[in-house]
Amino acid sequence: MSLSMTVLARARTIVAGIALVLVGATAAYGQRLLVPMDDAQQNHLKAYGLAYNAIKAGASAEWLLNYRGGAFLLADTPELRRQAGLSGITIEVLDNGKLGQIRSEIAANNMEAVPLEKAPKVAVYTPVDALPWDDAVTLALKYAGIEYTSIYDDEVERGDLTKYDWLHLHHEDFTGQLNKFYLSYRDAPWFIDLLQKNTSAAKRLGFANMPALKKDVAEKIREFVDRGGFLFAMCGATETLELAIAGKGVDIAQSFVDGTPMDPDADRKMDWKRTFAFHDAHLEQSPFVNSMSDIDGHQVNVPGRRQPLGTFTLFNFSAKFDPVPSMLVQNHRAVVNDFYGVTTSFTKTVLKPGVTVLANEEGAPWVKYLHGDYGKGTWTYYGGHDPEDPQHAIGNPPTDLSLFKNSPGYRLILNNVLFPAAKKKPLKT
Amino acid sequence: MAFYKALDLEAAGKYREAVVLFRTALHTPAGVNALLGLERAFAELGWADSLVAPLDTLIAADSHEETYRTVQLRTLQTLGRDADLHRAFDKWVRDLPNSATPYREYARLLLQKNRAGAADSVLIQAKQALGTTKDLQFELAQARAAQGQWIESAQAWRQALLTADYLEQAAAYALAPTPSSSRQQVREIFLALPVEVPSRRALADLETTWGSPADGWNALKGLPVDSASSEAWSEFAKRAESEDRWTIAREALEASLHYKRTPEIAIRAATAAMNAGDAPASLRLAPMSDAHGDSTLIAHSYLPLHARALAALGRPAEAEKLVDTYDRFLSPGAHNSLTRTIAWGWVRTGDMNRARAALAATGAEGDSSDAAGWLALYEGNIKSARGLLRGGTESSPELALALGLIARLKADTAPAIGKAFLALARGDTAGAAAQFIQSGERTPTVRSLLLLTAAQLQAGLKNDTAAVALWSRIVTDEKDTPEAPQAELEWSRLLRRKNDTAGATQHLEHLILAYPLSALVPQARRELELVKSAIPPSSTLSF
Repeated sequence: MSLSMTVLARARTIVAGIALVLVGATAAYGQRLLVPMDDAQQNHLKAYGLAYNAIKAGASAEWLLNYRGGAFLLADTPELRRQAGLSGITIEVLDNGKLGQIRSEIAANNMEAVPLEKAPKVAVYTPVDALPWDDAVTLALKYAGIEYTSIYDDEVERGDLTKYDWLHLHHEDFTGQLNKFYLSYRDAPWFIDLLQKNTSAAKRLGFANMPALKKDVAEKIREFVDRGGFLFAMCGATETLELAIAGKGVDIAQSFVDGTPMDPDADRKMDWKRTFAFHDAHLEQSPFVNSMSDIDGHQVNVPGRRQPLGTFTLFNFSAKFDPVPSMLVQNHRAVVNDFYGVTTSFTKTVLKPGVTVLANEEGAPWVKYLHGDYGKGTWTYYGGHDPEDPQHAIGNPPTDLSLFKNSPGYRLILNNVLFPAAKKKPLKT
Repeated sequence: MAFYKALDLEAAGKYREAVVLFRTALHTPAGVNALLGLERAFAELGWADSLVAPLDTLIAADSHEETYRTVQLRTLQTLGRDADLHRAFDKWVRDLPNSATPYREYARLLLQKNRAGAADSVLIQAKQALGTTKDLQFELAQARAAQGQWIESAQAWRQALLTADYLEQAAAYALAPTPSSSRQQVREIFLALPVEVPSRRALADLETTWGSPADGWNALKGLPVDSASSEAWSEFAKRAESEDRWTIAREALEASLHYKRTPEIAIRAATAAMNAGDAPASLRLAPMSDAHGDSTLIAHSYLPLHARALAALGRPAEAEKLVDTYDRFLSPGAHNSLTRTIAWGWVRTGDMNRARAALAATGAEGDSSDAAGWLALYEGNIKSARGLLRGGTESSPELALALGLIARLKADTAPAIGKAFLALARGDTAGAAAQFIQSGERTPTVRSLLLLTAAQLQAGLKNDTAAVALWSRIVTDEKDTPEAPQAELEWSRLLRRKNDTAGATQHLEHLILAYPLSALVPQARRELELVKSAIPPSSTLSF
């Protein structure tokens, strides 16, 4: 059933007069739209989708770092106004005078206007049959309206990573031990199904077992970053990716997945020179302890070691001299509630020199959010599973982001999606 | 005896004197009670520190008496001597290595001080020392809840309820702040086999607190039919009745009737059914045969209910006959009330003459009743209907519609609208829809509302084509009325049910953009997100 042409024509006319979320609107187009990202914004998460899709459509866009929570400056087009109206995104129409004032303010303060040029091609490493609701990044992308492609072992092995600019990993266990859920869930139908699928994928792709396949995938991801890719990982993928890369030639998996116990000398044999973020971490040797290593500070699945959740604080960077870390921490809140994941945080003592800490918990021996360069690319790690489900457990209902549209924790994820769009500027130093 | 004299002095507020006698009684058979008295008296005097020395003496003499130890911990905590408190606890554990009591008492004190983390450590210590926490489930449940570990707390509460079923409300209270993301797991813990009445009662309380009495009832309805379940059902029904949740109350009471049939429960169940709009069930649940021929009981308890049900079912003649049969057992007030009910029944059947005659028989009271208001509306007398219906006691969707309509009508008479409502009362839904459309032609001020009502009636009859034609007309010709966004929303829902996501999207987008100030915009945005699969389908709105 469709609307009559008359109705649609009227609708288009009315669109120009949207008043609900358009602050200070005037009827004329051709100026600029400011998408504030401070507390004036009604839907922070969808605002990222608006900016992303504006760039994708070829419209001019700038990210105003540290200005009103990291506002976006977009071309004023009927389509963008329409999308903002539909999604309840707060926008403000700027005339040249107001725009000039903003530029002066940015020039005089720790702020910067970064042009956004090209919408990155986004891939998410996730099984084809996974629902988007089981991964905070796919939840955020879906909600914000940002397109992505799901890829998994088959696609990585055939070299598809070269097709994408940005890759996200979530709770995959790259040591091939399925997060050691064998300990608690070995009889659960979903676990049996997962084990069978992964084992058969390993055989299909010519690997002896699941750990061998996952290590090879990890290696290809390392190469993707080395060649200039943008990697964003959360939850258990952060820790296990590092372990898989460092343990390339070492048996670091327990016998329930590959039939042989972990090499008792594995710790000593790890090659940390090849990893992105961590060094000199220690593997958990016991097959009966649901932990991979001492990289994770919170050890949520080990009752005697589990640490309570606190809050983490985002660091403030120089927008003019450190635009990349500045982009990654743009937010309307400086302190964010922590949330658990298979890997919740990163122990300070295992951080490599040169790693940029983006957020930490004051007084705690761990950090939450990391970034660094590797070869020609960059990587970012964000501990935890779901910023709005702090105690997340298997079987929990999915998070409905329409109830958390101003989530500061989710904003950090979306900062990562957008920052590869920024035009590289030569450093002023 | 010194102890009883001390109690008298304490009751008289003579604490200094009481202290002396409680002290004397410490080494008598009433020693434990004397110590508690001494604790109270010292607290009143602000001398809690004076209790420390006598306690040391008592504990040295009898290291196994748990009350002495408990009072000692309490006293040290009151004095803020945390290090001594911890030492006293450690000593108690050393003296009684196999007892859960030291851990329980210390953990409780820590919980009272909002030190859930410390309490948790004590409980972990208990697990290591005793090999189990089965006697500490209550404390464990509280500590876990205080730390936001909802799943672990629910597991402990379930265990605690096995031996202390009176804790069900405490469990519901402690778990009430569980975030929505963890609630399903909490439910599963309480619903897990074997079925236990206390854990189901706790879950029922919890679900009701979380805002869903229907889920609360789901927790209880599968219980085996026995006295404990019957009590649980009856108690749950009482809460549902107090919150006007009549369908749930009726189901719970009906379940209770399966265990034991009493006139009181039967009448409550039938009343709940009636209030839920299920008149046939009301008659079935409380048949007059239950009264075993007790005419007084019938007249006072069963007759008003049966008359009301029969009137609602459009069987006022039967109601009239019943009232005649038991008339001599009725007071004049009760008689008039029943006559008004019968008049309402005649109104429902559209027999205005008999309704008027019935009301006339009740005098002035009848002239100001709900029935009189509806009668006026059916006759097109909007002025009278406005006054009578506004002040009425009834609450129903029809009344909401009627009130909304007459509030916007400027005219004092509108016979066509009266006819439409009359057709609706007679159950002629299609006829009523046609009448609403016709009356809309004559009353442009409320045309959009009348058309929307007609569309809703057509949609209810699954006559989608007619409904869509009306919605389209409202969106096109009545676009500046409050009914236009409402029509768009209802139209989009029909399309969504038919899996026409493109059509639904079009209407929802049009609603949002064309009526940005409408109160329906948040709902439209949410439904648009569901149509586009931008949020998980579990959040689907019911419609």
